[in-house]
Amino acid sequence: MKGPLSFRFPWRSRGRIAAEIDAELAFHLAMRAAELERQGIAHDAAIAQARAEFGDIESTRTYCRTQDEAGERMMRWNDRLESVWYDFRHAVRSLCRTPAFSGTAILTVTLVLGANTAVFSAARAVLLRPLPYGHPDELVAVQCKSVAGYFVGTEALSPPDYQDYRAQQHAFTDIAAYSNATETWLPGQGDTERVRAALVTGNMFNLLEATPRAGRILLPSDAGPDAPDVAVISSRFFERALGGDAARLGETLTINGRATRIVGVMRPGFTLGFQADIWFPLDLSGDLADPGRTRKQHWLNGIGRLRPGTTVETADRDLALIGAHLAAAYPDADSTRVATPMPLRTWMIGSFGSGLTLLQGAALLVLLIACANLANLTLSRALDRRRDMAVRAALGSGRGRLIRQLFTESMLIALVGGALAIALAYAATHWLLRLDANAVPGPYPVAVDGIVLAFCAVLASGTGVLSGLAPAFAVSRLDLQQALREGGRGSSGGRVVERARRALVIGQIALAVTLLIGTGLLVRSFRALDGVKLGFTPDHVLTAATNLTGARYDTLARVNLFYDQVLGELARTPGVVAVGAADELPTQGSTGASMRIEGQVNDEANLPNMAYIAVRGDYFRALGVPLLAGRLFTAGDDSTAPDVAVINETALHRFFPSGAIGRRIHIGPTATGPAITIVGVVGDVHAEGASYPVLPTLFPNHRQVAGGASLSIAVRTRGDPIALTPALRRAARGADPTVAVHDVATLEAVVGESLASRRFALALVTGFAGLALMLATIGVYGVLAYLVAGRRREFGVRLALGATQGSVVGLVLRQGLMWAGIGLALGLAAAVAGRTLVAASLYGVTPGDPITWIGVPAILLAVVTAACLIPALRATRVDPVAAMRAD
Amino acid sequence: MSRTPPGMLQGTVDLLVLRALAWNAMHGYEISRWLEARSDGVLMVDGAALYPALHRLERRAWVASWWGISENNRRAKFYRLTRTGTAHLRASTTAWHDYAHAVAQVLAPR
Repeated sequence: MKGPLSFRFPWRSRGRIAAEIDAELAFHLAMRAAELERQGIAHDAAIAQARAEFGDIESTRTYCRTQDEAGERMMRWNDRLESVWYDFRHAVRSLCRTPAFSGTAILTVTLVLGANTAVFSAARAVLLRPLPYGHPDELVAVQCKSVAGYFVGTEALSPPDYQDYRAQQHAFTDIAAYSNATETWLPGQGDTERVRAALVTGNMFNLLEATPRAGRILLPSDAGPDAPDVAVISSRFFERALGGDAARLGETLTINGRATRIVGVMRPGFTLGFQADIWFPLDLSGDLADPGRTRKQHWLNGIGRLRPGTTVETADRDLALIGAHLAAAYPDADSTRVATPMPLRTWMIGSFGSGLTLLQGAALLVLLIACANLANLTLSRALDRRRDMAVRAALGSGRGRLIRQLFTESMLIALVGGALAIALAYAATHWLLRLDANAVPGPYPVAVDGIVLAFCAVLASGTGVLSGLAPAFAVSRLDLQQALREGGRGSSGGRVVERARRALVIGQIALAVTLLIGTGLLVRSFRALDGVKLGFTPDHVLTAATNLTGARYDTLARVNLFYDQVLGELARTPGVVAVGAADELPTQGSTGASMRIEGQVNDEANLPNMAYIAVRGDYFRALGVPLLAGRLFTAGDDSTAPDVAVINETALHRFFPSGAIGRRIHIGPTATGPAITIVGVVGDVHAEGASYPVLPTLFPNHRQVAGGASLSIAVRTRGDPIALTPALRRAARGADPTVAVHDVATLEAVVGESLASRRFALALVTGFAGLALMLATIGVYGVLAYLVAGRRREFGVRLALGATQGSVVGLVLRQGLMWAGIGLALGLAAAVAGRTLVAASLYGVTPGDPITWIGVPAILLAVVTAACLIPALRATRVDPVAAMRAD
Repeated sequence: MSRTPPGMLQGTVDLLVLRALAWNAMHGYEISRWLEARSDGVLMVDGAALYPALHRLERRAWVASWWGISENNRRAKFYRLTRTGTAHLRASTTAWHDYAHAVAQVLAPR
């Protein structure tokens, strides 16, 4: 007897297994007993003997049961794997058959998941990791906040204030301070390069409990007035400057023209919140020796470590007390400010953190919209294959199996999209960081690491599940028998499916509207931020530094001759909007001058200090700095006219509360210098962002005073600023070929980092909004197109019965717009509810900004109408006879 | 009181069962009868050794089972050798012969 084919019974339960074993053993015993009886033994004795001969029945039973159960488990497992593998192969094949659908779906998933992953990797670096210092929770930033609303935000400390706070405080174990600067480094070979430096007080590294990678950290002794020039460098700079060779530690590098010995290398990633290549000890002894002057120079950022067990509030009160004393002792310098602590993370990250959270929220919303789209698409696919599935069901495939197959397709799309998304996110973060290493604040680099990968995997799985649910749901409710009987596409699959589709499309539109409104507000806010916060517009500006030295330029007349010619020629060049020049460009610093104001009593011991930047030509217009009052310099302000100057808004509020136009001042150490008349007030220039307060600045007319002869030229261009470099060089050569023109760069490059990240964030947010709108539109179009195709017969009948084409179009349009309307209403409601979430990040724009709230619905309706029209028009082209005959 | 020769390793019982099934597909009782007859009454494998062996072998997929009707019209569980079982039988038989030969050599006088 060969035995039947291997035919798998349905799974055996434990009870079944036990019963079979019992039966098998019972059979054996019965056979043996029967044989014994045949040999003449009595019935009962035969049974007993058979039992005895058998051996330990119970343990046999148990052993066999265990074996069978284990075998059963393995078979079930194998079967499951096999069916999953089958589903997988099948899904791959069916996806390859419809490359348009698969391609679009995968592309959508890739884009959306890629965006989410990229944002998350930034969020992880910025928000989700502890600071890389010892006991980071004890660290706070110490800054000055305004008393009685004198200024907004925070300002840095001045050296004498820092010393006083440090000496008199009780709540901290210590306070250290730092400042940043851009220095030049002259390597052994090649041109001078720029390096970012951090100047830190001697106790900084000890305070942070930072340990070096090699060598030593900076110590208080390095910050003494007679200490030799030493510095500590970053890991990255170590590779660049010393080739990563530990034996070369101790060499000197030429920084800013001085030989500096490198005594240590910090660990990779160690920063104070901004990328620095080199850390110098800060010697404050000079500043502290002249407190009268330096108490008003605020440029030190403090970092303090709280005593264990001390809260930020306690420290705040402690500092406030000291601040009150300082205000009383030095009213001119300190009456308007008091030091305050804030958690170091908050300080380092600033508003970037909340912006990032919003960005992540936006990215997730877009993901939901994309899921809805995919669900709809998959639904259509599932319905198209109704017949297919009905046949399969008839052949014995359970409903569960069919659902699983559809699900596998969605999961496959999601997982492939997820894998590609990781590549995309990786490329995106690399590109971002190459643009600007400081685009993302905080000490950790943005990287796609294990947790980010896990995040992407989770999102991808979620996407697969969400977009697979709809078709699974639809299939489970289908009447498959009906599908077999009915021909071709037929109706769109029943009421349940209709409802599901409708819900999906409306949901999509609602989400898109919410997202668009939030984004619209943010975009407008960013634009306002971009302009106002800086105080000037750095794009489309070319700059260059000129060097006028020697006997040729020892008179004002000669200097004026040169610059008048150069600036004049540049002004006439096509493509130039405005051109001017100044002692220093924004972020290049400034000299200071104390001044006496005519018409009021000046405290000789405490003269107001202003930054001093001589300008000429159309400098302010070239930079995009607005004129707030009075006038700018004209041709009439030459050496024969009275000396004039312009001040900035901060100077106006600080020193001329009652008005500045027409006031006269004297600058310089003695009271007998020439008088300068203030003729105008310009807007403040916040080149460094919130961390540097704007100094009250005086802009004298270079033509009249020409303090320093070498100016930086700024040219605002219509097109690409770099394109005007030849023209600039030509103009300078034409005026004097011996004058060196160097450091030709765009103002953006000069001013640098914070712009890149803001712009990037703006681009991202706009990108998301655009993506959301596009996805929602595609969703609506897709569903309507499918429905129209399904109702061809109906339209054919209508047209045949005399309906006009217009009425058919109207039908389709009405349905589409009704969905859009409901979605819009829901989206607006959600946006209203979520208004407060966004309000925190807005600047210069109210949450109820009418342009956004009216503009977004308008755009959405316009776009949806367009998306509806195409299928609507197609519906009218249905040939009634053909439609009725078809299928 | 067991009839299986004492100290017979379970590997040996497995081998014997496989050999029996190579002869023909049988149910458990038939196997024990066949072994007894084949070894002229020396090898009497009792149920407590036989059935664990059969279920073990089935789990390893060296034998396959099904329920059929026995010669006296009763429901019985039949076993047959699978392809992998046949291969394993061949390999094990060779190993067993080598082993037996080696033991005999050791035990031989001189």
